[in-house]
Amino acid sequence: MEYNLYDFRGSSLNIQIAIIFIIIAVSFTVLAYLSILTGRYKAYQREKKLASLHPVIDNLLMEHILLNDELASDIPAEQVALPIEVFRLPVFEHRWARQALIDRLIDYRNNVRGAMGEQLRNLYIQLELDKDSLKKMKSSKWDKKVQALAELSNMNMSIADVTILPLTNSSNRELRAAARHAYIKLSKNEPFKFFEVVTEPLLMWDQVELFKIISTTEHIAIPNFAQWITYSSNKSIVSFCLKLVVHYNQISAVPAVVKLLDTKDHYLRADAINCLGKLKMESVEDKLLQMYDSQPLNCQLEILKALGRISSGRHVDFLRQEFLHATDFDVRKHAAKSIINNKWAAKGIIEELVETATAENKLILKHSMNPLIKY
Amino acid sequence: MQLFRNVFESFVFIYGSTMLFMYALLAILSLRGIIRFQRKNSYVDYNKMLQSPIAPGISIIAPAFNEGVTIIQNVRSLLTLNYPRYEVIIVNDGSTDDTLEKLIKEFQLQVVDFAYNERIKSQPVKRLFKSSNSAYEKLVVIDKVNGKSKADASNAGINAAAYDYFLCTDVDCIIEKDTLLRMIKPFMDEEHNKIKEIGEPCPECGYIHVVEDSIRVIATGATLRLANSCEVDEGVITRVRPPEKWLPRFQEMEYLRAYVLGKMGWSVINCVPNVSGGLGLFDKEIAIKAGGYDSKSFAEDMDIVTRMCTYMIDNKLKYAIRYIPTTQCWTEGPPTMKVFSRQRTRWGRGLAEIITIHRKVIFNPHYKRLGMIVLPYNLLFEFLAPIIEITGVFYYIYQIVTGSINWHNALILLAFVYFYSVMITTLAILWDQITYKHYKTWEEVIGLALMAFLEPFVYHPMIVFFALRGYFHFITGRKHSWGNMQRQGFGQRKPANT
Repeated sequence: MEYNLYDFRGSSLNIQIAIIFIIIAVSFTVLAYLSILTGRYKAYQREKKLASLHPVIDNLLMEHILLNDELASDIPAEQVALPIEVFRLPVFEHRWARQALIDRLIDYRNNVRGAMGEQLRNLYIQLELDKDSLKKMKSSKWDKKVQALAELSNMNMSIADVTILPLTNSSNRELRAAARHAYIKLSKNEPFKFFEVVTEPLLMWDQVELFKIISTTEHIAIPNFAQWITYSSNKSIVSFCLKLVVHYNQISAVPAVVKLLDTKDHYLRADAINCLGKLKMESVEDKLLQMYDSQPLNCQLEILKALGRISSGRHVDFLRQEFLHATDFDVRKHAAKSIINNKWAAKGIIEELVETATAENKLILKHSMNPLIKY
Repeated sequence: MQLFRNVFESFVFIYGSTMLFMYALLAILSLRGIIRFQRKNSYVDYNKMLQSPIAPGISIIAPAFNEGVTIIQNVRSLLTLNYPRYEVIIVNDGSTDDTLEKLIKEFQLQVVDFAYNERIKSQPVKRLFKSSNSAYEKLVVIDKVNGKSKADASNAGINAAAYDYFLCTDVDCIIEKDTLLRMIKPFMDEEHNKIKEIGEPCPECGYIHVVEDSIRVIATGATLRLANSCEVDEGVITRVRPPEKWLPRFQEMEYLRAYVLGKMGWSVINCVPNVSGGLGLFDKEIAIKAGGYDSKSFAEDMDIVTRMCTYMIDNKLKYAIRYIPTTQCWTEGPPTMKVFSRQRTRWGRGLAEIITIHRKVIFNPHYKRLGMIVLPYNLLFEFLAPIIEITGVFYYIYQIVTGSINWHNALILLAFVYFYSVMITTLAILWDQITYKHYKTWEEVIGLALMAFLEPFVYHPMIVFFALRGYFHFITGRKHSWGNMQRQGFGQRKPANT
């Protein structure tokens, strides 16, 4: 079809728009095809380059570091002269290759412990790869900073508090999470100092990551978490500290947790009750019972669970009452579970309930008694 | 008559252009979402979650109806997902084959006295089973009376679920091992339990009452793909291929467009219209408060999401529905025209039903984005599109018959729609490639992308026809039962036969 500019000008607006969009659509479609092909080609090239470089790095590391008998001595790692000349290959002048070397070193370091791990760190320093990481740290891009923090913390390189502490409170979630992880790993004296400065919330995902790092980092100084439970205005920090108190069975923090029972925030109160139950604090049972009636449902359920965990046997009558008279299904279920957890003191009550309870309550009891059912 | 023609033509042009503009907007939004997801995700170590004692629990709910051929392999696959705290609830929805017997035998199941709390109505539950073998302690099997819908079975699963989140899936879907880790993350990335105090201290308890004031993620979805022609070994996809047969191949292309471009784009502006029934992670508390799945609905997945959103808005709670662009679930697409037509007719009917049931929400400013964007979009550009399209076709035919057609303009307009639709589909495939390069060779990608050139002539007319048939069934109230999709199962180390 012959179509010229004159026809275009003479067409109606609808047709003019349609023609413009046909050109745009065809152009974008062609561009999309080209992008798909070039993207795949670049990925293929990258993989090919790495596939040829990785065996080279692996061989060098194996031969000159990991299987080098001369390095397996009692001399402190930092005093050992490594054969770094063999690593000075032309390919490592390229940034991508140096990055591949850093990534490989981190992989190896995560899989070896002790002196060999220290030699890998030494190699990282002597090849001046730390300078690459520090350069990224100065970048204005958050993702570069996150990458640098991960590299430096994996290589156990110290970072000045003045550099890292502000990042623990960054408005960028990923950056502040990476900074917090690095701070915990790298700070020698006060790994939890950032708890005092953070105003941004500790998201649940961050908590899982931090929990993992705290519980797996060697030689970490565990403080008394009561200080943050008492004074922190950041509720997510308080909630996280309660979990750490349970993990480290930190009985010294109990008074601070008990004080938290008076907080207005019933989510935090439920966390505190949960913590006391898991610590099996028999001394707080009376207080929990006293406050039970005035609590919202989530706190009531936590109190019932706590009575089961503590299992003092002193409050089975209360549990029986709740089981028989509560209207809420979950309350009855948790009361039943706690009665069963107190069974050493509630044998008679359990027998009586099995005999006299309604069909539904009997089912709840049997559910709670069945070892195959956990929840 | 001329005036009517002018008005009609202008209306159709404006309508079509607006729809195409919406697609362009979605393409831009989804690209932004994908790039942001990729950047953030590249630093996430999901393995940190693997043994965490503080990970939130998830209940996987998988209804099964006459799945005897594949049930054992599928349940084994679900039991080996990477996550520290989860249970698998298989709901045997009154199967008439040997599904239940196979489960009992293979997993050493025994009947337990289970305190089943029927918070959402479903057909009666007959028995609940747990395994006496501790290796299968995560498994719960519910045997219930057939409810003639997946929704009814899912509701029974929700009632038995122990954890705060539930993942709804089909028992014959193949789920990636890291699915739970990835799908729970959006829930954990929001600032939970940020509260605000309301009113004076309560005279009864002495406390100032508090309500949640944080954005609560109520559901998360992920991309689904077709497993037809993929190689599967022990419930794991080992080699991804686009479907070889043309019908599932068109569906694969359509899925990518709907998920990677559509839902991902909507997710960026928190306007996700639905979370697929094949794979969706939900906040159990909100799902129950919203009434669970509607067992009578033909679009139960969209219905539950809409009701969860209205519940949140009615209670002045902030919410979000998130989407992740990575493929987490593989399903077998209808391989034959008979099954395909049944599925699409059902979808059409479901959409008509949603629009009718939630009509009070549409264009209601009280429901904010749901009332002013999500449902109006579905009404105007999903529900009405087939009707306007078929009207347009008849109009063209009328013009041809009466000789009043301007062939020059008509061809330009058709070319406009054609090339635009090709562009959108090609962009969706490009976005998918940016997310992850599932296909091994470039020929496979280009082969799939080229289907976009055929789609307007082959696949699209079928979709329109089945949607209209669904509307017709809705209007006439014709009975339509869901049932077994006659799946053929996934082979062992060979392409799943389509």
